[in-house]
Formats: sequence, structure tokens, C-alpha cells
Amino acid sequence: MRISAALAIVLLSACSGANNASTSKNTTTTTTTAVTAAPSPAPPGQVVKIGIDLPLSGGDASVGISTEQGALLAIDQAQKNMPRGYTLQGEGLDDSVQGVHNPEQGVSNVRSFISDAAVLAVVGPYNSNVARAEIPVTNAAGLAQIGPSVVADNLTIGPEAAQLRRTNPSWNTFFRVCTTDSRQGAALAQFARSLGFKRAYIIDDNETYGLDLADRFEKDFTNDGGTVLARDHLAKNTQDFKSLLLKVLAAKPDVVFFGGVTSTGGGLLRKQMFSVGLGKTAYMGGDGLADLATVAAAQADGSYYTLAAPNAMKLSAAQAFVKAYRAKYNADIGPYSANAYAAAQVAASAVVRAIRSGHGTVPSRTAVVANVASTKLETPIGPISFDKYGDVTNPVLSLYGFKNGQSYFIRQIQLKL
Amino acid sequence: MHEFLAQLFNGIALGGIYALIALGYTMVYGIIGLINFAHGDVYTLGSFFALTILTALGVSGELHGVALVVDVAIALIGAALLCGIVGVLIERLAYRRLRNAPRLAPLITAIGISFILENVMQIWKGPAPVPFPAVVPNPSVMIAGVAVGAQQFLLVGLAVVMMVALQLFIHNTRLGRAMRATAEDRDAAQLMGININKTIMLTFLIGSALAGVAGFVSGVYYQSTWFFNGFGAGLKAFTAAVLGGIGNIAGAMLGGFLIGIIESFATWKFGGQWSNVTVFAILILVLVFRPSGLLGEAVYERA
Repeated sequence: MRISAALAIVLLSACSGANNASTSKNTTTTTTTAVTAAPSPAPPGQVVKIGIDLPLSGGDASVGISTEQGALLAIDQAQKNMPRGYTLQGEGLDDSVQGVHNPEQGVSNVRSFISDAAVLAVVGPYNSNVARAEIPVTNAAGLAQIGPSVVADNLTIGPEAAQLRRTNPSWNTFFRVCTTDSRQGAALAQFARSLGFKRAYIIDDNETYGLDLADRFEKDFTNDGGTVLARDHLAKNTQDFKSLLLKVLAAKPDVVFFGGVTSTGGGLLRKQMFSVGLGKTAYMGGDGLADLATVAAAQADGSYYTLAAPNAMKLSAAQAFVKAYRAKYNADIGPYSANAYAAAQVAASAVVRAIRSGHGTVPSRTAVVANVASTKLETPIGPISFDKYGDVTNPVLSLYGFKNGQSYFIRQIQLKL
Repeated sequence: MHEFLAQLFNGIALGGIYALIALGYTMVYGIIGLINFAHGDVYTLGSFFALTILTALGVSGELHGVALVVDVAIALIGAALLCGIVGVLIERLAYRRLRNAPRLAPLITAIGISFILENVMQIWKGPAPVPFPAVVPNPSVMIAGVAVGAQQFLLVGLAVVMMVALQLFIHNTRLGRAMRATAEDRDAAQLMGININKTIMLTFLIGSALAGVAGFVSGVYYQSTWFFNGFGAGLKAFTAAVLGGIGNIAGAMLGGFLIGIIESFATWKFGGQWSNVTVFAILILVLVFRPSGLLGEAVYERA
């Protein structure tokens, strides 16, 4: 995602959101105890809710709304599995402010979910910086949160993720059905080896997204028997990559891997490959190169990139969902509709299992979290279960290439972990 | 040896662009003692103007024969002229009234103008790099086993021709004499009947037009342009001007080529992430140990 690449810039705003977590702690813990203190059998007509937090207005609206519709469809369909006496509802809130997804608004939405005792899980958000602000709040409240599309690595793994869970470090409330940025590196390494590439030259843009991606590619490509000729980083604010590419030329690689996005040098690098005589060498990178053709036009041909999600339109398991979605909304699914559908399915199934194991009583939020963690579910985007960090254990990504300056779908990649 | 030469030729071409930009820095500094930080953005503006002119002419690919000469001439002269006008406007709006203010004031307005130009260009062509048509064919000749493209010759040739023309203009014409007089002692020049405002305007016109030429050339050479290019290129060209001796025309040219070669070799030997570090470390070393630059002591040559 461009979104995740832009993350570093938005960190500031995300931090201010995270700071609010401590103030929310008081209100949220009281709410949690209120819920845990009510394990009475459900009266007829008990309503339980799944909150949905997405950007629904402004620039993100087109993807936000199709994502929300995916989640709402799953909640609709889950109704028939609800134990007797229970009604499941989806409640959507918009985290856009003046047309842009906003971490503070996301936190405020999550707070209002927390204060509504009927909300047992949250689907969302769409953007990594919003997630970074929200996770400390849901962690403090013990409310399960399932992200359909947030791909930044450091939301689940590493010291920064631990920092997000600081109120209750011993457990994890944040899960995601998409995969992570760096796993694209693994998928690309797998693909590069399957094309018979032995020698790779790795370049990155020295930013978080690009470094993670390139590190992962380097590791997996080497483990898979490939040779990494060298690793280089781009300097900021430079337009001349020819001297770097002359080095690359001398190393005679089969493939040039770029960790970064088109605008941090990915586009110019591909263009200048042609002027030093590397035009016939393959070029690949993560979803940051999805818009490569806007800069490189026809010179993008021979390049490959991944998206950190399967192409649901092409998955056989997703066809029923695609049809049901079209029947209900009279439109084709959006890029993350299937992911949101799966996320809401995970949430609904965890709620149902929590109710069952409590013999029909309204479950606590913590019981729902435990049930999300133990999820084993068939969804349109494949079977879903989570590792201890909240990441999916069987990630499926999609692979694309360029022909005549246009991108085309090649295939899905099932990642061996 | 092969790679050494390849990197050397690449560095010289890169240096040609820096040299063209550095000429403008050095002229303006020579005459009013101002570091015109908006100059790098005028360079980017040059490539935007050239792109717009080429698009208007319906050019989208390589040109040959008469069309090559005519269209390139129109785009080159058009971009230079428009940049020259922008330069004159910048001087009129942001610097002239501050000519007798403390030196910090015009420096701050220069940075302000730089931001304005960057943002205007971002709104104009968008935040992403923009493709630039490869109008000039690039057949290459082998020099000691290294392929050198026609564009590289064009770039370096243009830079050298511009510098020589500028030298001749400054030393052999009335206007050039007026510029030298203004540079040496503004008040005395005014007392001798030289129109200071006109002379300074002329300096900005020429300096900015050279940036426009550099903008066109870099567009052709890299086949792309980006609203933010001028920031990095401007800083390096400034470093080149300081290295050569700021205020000195030949020094700017020498400094430009040296910086280009150093950057190319730094990328080759230390890796891409060290190229900027190396260039700016040199800036610091020059400022500390030889503030007048390589050719800086020839004060009378200031333009």
C-alpha cells in the first residue's frame, strides 16, 4: 500500500493518538468489568454488535464503502448461525475527517464502540496509521479488533508493536486477515526462483517499507538457493541513478529487486535501467510499484509486483461471495471487500463460539478475543487462522506483471511459512 | 578500468547539469552577494516549461532531421526565455526591495520563493514524477570500450559552450562591463551612470535562462522530471559553486564537473546512500579550509 509507505510521515499524528490511550483506560476498564459482570442468560431479543471503523467519506470513500459493504454482508449472513435469542448487528463509523482518514477520529470511534456494551468486536480500520492509534485503546479495553487491509509490519511484530500493547502486554487483541508488507518480499523471492533467477541485485529506498521488503526478499532468496550480488540504497532527492546502475550492470544480475515505492525512485530506476543497457533485465518489487507505469510507461514491461492480498475476483472459493455481493449491492466487489467479509466472518464466528461456550450467556469481550485467537475458518480468501502475533498463518498474495505499459494479473502466491 | 571510465563519463554528464545550474548561483552571488535558493526550483521549472512546449508541439517521442533541430530549438529557447522571465520576476518581487536590508532577509525570502515554486509545480504536474519525451536520439560511440551516448556529448557540449559564451559576454560587451562594475562596487557604478536595477535584472535573466537550459537538458537525459528535483540538484549545484569559488564563472563550471564525478564515484565505491554524504562533506571541508574555493582568489573576475 501507498498508505503504509506514507506511514512514517504520519507517525506523529499516530503518536498523539496513542497518547490518548492512557486517558481512555479508566472508562474502558469499567465498561469491561460491566460486561464481564453480566453473565446472565440472554433475554429474548439480545442484541450484540460488531463495530466497523473505516474511512467512508472523502478520498478513501470509494474503497472504504466497498470494504464496509463486504463486512456488512458477512454480518447479514452470520445472522442465521446466531444462537436463539440473539440478534447480530453491524455498526459502521467513519474515521475520515475532511476527506482524509484520521487517527484521532479512529480512536474516538473505537471509544464509542467501547462504551457500547453490546459491541463485542471491531472490524477495521483501513489504514495503518489509524490502526497504530487505535490498537492501544482496544488493547486496554480488551476488545477484539480485526483489520481487513492494514499491512504495516510493525503493527503486530517487533518492539513497536509491543509498545502498542503496553497496557496489557501479555495478550493481543489486534488481528488481521491480510498479510504484511515484508511477506511480499518472501512471495517475490519465491516467484523469482520459480522463474529460474539465480542472481539478484537488491536496491532499496532506505525507508521503513522498502527496507523491510528488501530484507525479507534478501533472506528468502538466499535461503532458496539464490545469490544476492549486492545490496544498495538510494540517496534521497536524487534523480541520477545511472552510476548505481552501472555497478548493477557490471554485476550481471538476472533480476533487480527494488524495495520502495515508485515515487521514492522506483520509477526512475526502471527508466534509467534502459539507458545503461539493463532494459532486458527483470525488475520486481512490492505493491509500491503497482503504479510503476505512471512513470515508466511502456518501459515498465518486464517488471513484476505483488499485492498483500489475494485477487478475490479470481479465487474459486470467493465466487459465491462475489455473486452474493453483486446481488445485494448491484456492484462488483472493491479491492478489500473480500478481506472485510472474511474479517467480519472471523468476528461473528468468534462471538457465536463465545456464546456457545458460555451456554448462551452474553459473552465477555475477553472471551471473544480468545475465540478470535483460536479461529479456524474457511473464508472467500482462504482458510484463516492466526499466529501469536495476530497475523494469518497461511497468507495468500497476488502477483502482477506489466505488458504494454498495463498491469495484468499473473497468479496467486500461497506463501510457505 | 572499464567501469572506472563508465563511471567517469557518467559523472561528467551529471556534472554538466550541475555546472549549468551553478553558473546561475555564482552570477547572482557575484553581483549582489545573495545565495538565491530558489534557483534550483527555476531549474525544475525549466524542465516543466520544456515539457509543456514539447507537448504543445505534439512531440511525444524521438525526433529526426529538421523536426529535431526546430522542435528542440523551440523547446530549449522557450524554456530558457520563460525561466529568465521568472527569474526577473523573482528578483523584482522578492529581492529588490530587500537589497539594502540585512543579508538574512533576502535569504529567507529566497527560501520562501523556493517553497512557493515547488508547491506551484506540484499542483501543476502532480506529486509523482512526470515522463519527459526522449526527443534527442541517443546513438552511442565506443570510447575505450565504454558506450557514450550522443545525449551525454550534447549535455557536456552545451554546458561548456554556455560557459564560454558567458565569459565572452562579461568580458567583451558593454553590458558585461556594467555587470563587472556593479559586482565590484555598486555605489561607484551607479555614480558612473550605470543603471544598477537593469544590470541586476540582466544577471537574473541570464542566470535563470541557464537554469532553464539545464532543466530542458536534464529532462531529455533522464526522460522524466519531478517537481522536487530542484531541491537536491540545487543544493549540489550550490556546493559546486562554492567548491569552484562562488562568484567565479570558470570555478562554477569546474566545481560542477567535479561534484558530478565525485558523486558518481562515491556511488560506485561507497554505495548509493553515501553519495549525498560525500558531496556535502566536501562542502563542509571547502567552507572550513578554503572558503574562497578552488579558483576563488581571482576576485577581479567576479561577474
